[in-house]
Amino acid sequence: MTSLLYKEIKLVAHPTSIVFAFLGCLVLVPSYPYSVIFMFGCLAPYITFLNAREINDAWYTALLPVTKCESVLGKCLLVVFFQLFQLLFSVPFALLRNFLNIANNPVGLDATVAWYGFGFIVYAVFDFIFLTTFYKSGYKVGKSFIFAAIFMVFLMILVETTAHIPALVWMDSCQTENLLMQLPILVVGIICYGMLIPLAYQISARYYEKVDL
Amino acid sequence: MEPVLSVQNITKHYPGFALENVSFSLGPKRIMGLIGKNGAGKSTTLKSILNMVSPENGSVTMFRKDFYQHEKECKQHIGIVFGGIDFYPLKKLSTISAVTRRFYENWDQAQYQRYVKLFALDERKKYKELSNGMKVKYLLALALSHHAELLILDEPTSGLDPVSRDELLHVFCQIVNSENCSILFSTHITSDLDRCADDITYIQNGRVLQSAEKGKFLRSFEHLKTPEDSGPLTLEEIMLRTERSKWDDITTL
Repeated sequence: MTSLLYKEIKLVAHPTSIVFAFLGCLVLVPSYPYSVIFMFGCLAPYITFLNAREINDAWYTALLPVTKCESVLGKCLLVVFFQLFQLLFSVPFALLRNFLNIANNPVGLDATVAWYGFGFIVYAVFDFIFLTTFYKSGYKVGKSFIFAAIFMVFLMILVETTAHIPALVWMDSCQTENLLMQLPILVVGIICYGMLIPLAYQISARYYEKVDL
Repeated sequence: MEPVLSVQNITKHYPGFALENVSFSLGPKRIMGLIGKNGAGKSTTLKSILNMVSPENGSVTMFRKDFYQHEKECKQHIGIVFGGIDFYPLKKLSTISAVTRRFYENWDQAQYQRYVKLFALDERKKYKELSNGMKVKYLLALALSHHAELLILDEPTSGLDPVSRDELLHVFCQIVNSENCSILFSTHITSDLDRCADDITYIQNGRVLQSAEKGKFLRSFEHLKTPEDSGPLTLEEIMLRTERSKWDDITTL
């Protein structure tokens, strides 16, 4: 498994995708729709899959002692790596934001515990649709992205709207008691991610077995 | 002797083309040429063997194991070269090699360095900076550095100048003589096989027309000889006359 991820990072990951993974730091920007950070986390796999297609990665992988299922696993690991790295990388910046007493983000939801929970949900839904659509053909990256992006944008709008609904403003608060109230959203997000990604892998692998290179 | 590769009744249908019951066997330390005109089904056969396309029927036995059941295990002992496909064009050879060697249990770094030196490869170069001949040599170096017992080469000499082709054919013969290795080699440049092949499999329209040891193969096409032919037919003449007779049949319709 480490060899697969190593291969993806060294040979396949597009440099832009790696830059996007570092954009978790945008939570430090005073007024910014932070759900755009999730969009970068979804663009990273899209650009890398495009790159993989252009550099004939599927062919080279087929020559190595790995099965088609493992080829899919490598890509899933890379996507998870990008997104988890991005969310983890943003944590110190979110803490720094509180430490610096930067005013509440007027645009939308702050980088609260709930925001991280929503992030996992956005990634889980996007990845599930993107991966399972892509591996039906093994090459239609654009179609898969557009299809998955419709759901991504819808969820992003929902995330940003929560901050403007009076009954849900506790999700936008960094007060300790509110952060504790938000914990279930994070747990739901992690469970959602932890269940949908393995499911996406299994379905994608089953589709890819039937794809002729 | 037990064959290293046995292909039995591989069948695959595409719209407008079909591989029908392709069967042949390759013995140890032998070079088999897979010939046929463009679009005859050579590459599809190789891809079916390697599970890159899913055949509807048939079996592949490699090193006495069912390839489709033991794909990973079998791939540890084979090297594959697809001519004309550029992998990771912007990556340095050293980077590609560093990744590739992690996948092989029997990777021999000293052997790899020997081949890098023998083929005069510069590992600091990017893949796209290599000539077509050097690309094939690099892929061969990777294939041979994990002591592959079977090389599967798809059109490795296509697009190469006669000197590079001659050099590569010399390398193939050397590999079979010095390593415990067999080669399955698809090409439409039949003159390459006159020099180095032990066995020939001829595919026409997705079907195996003949698969035999080279001498037997040549004798089986003696009916194509004309009174003007004094010596045995070459592979090229056999292919030309076989395909031409098909065209004659079509024009008479």
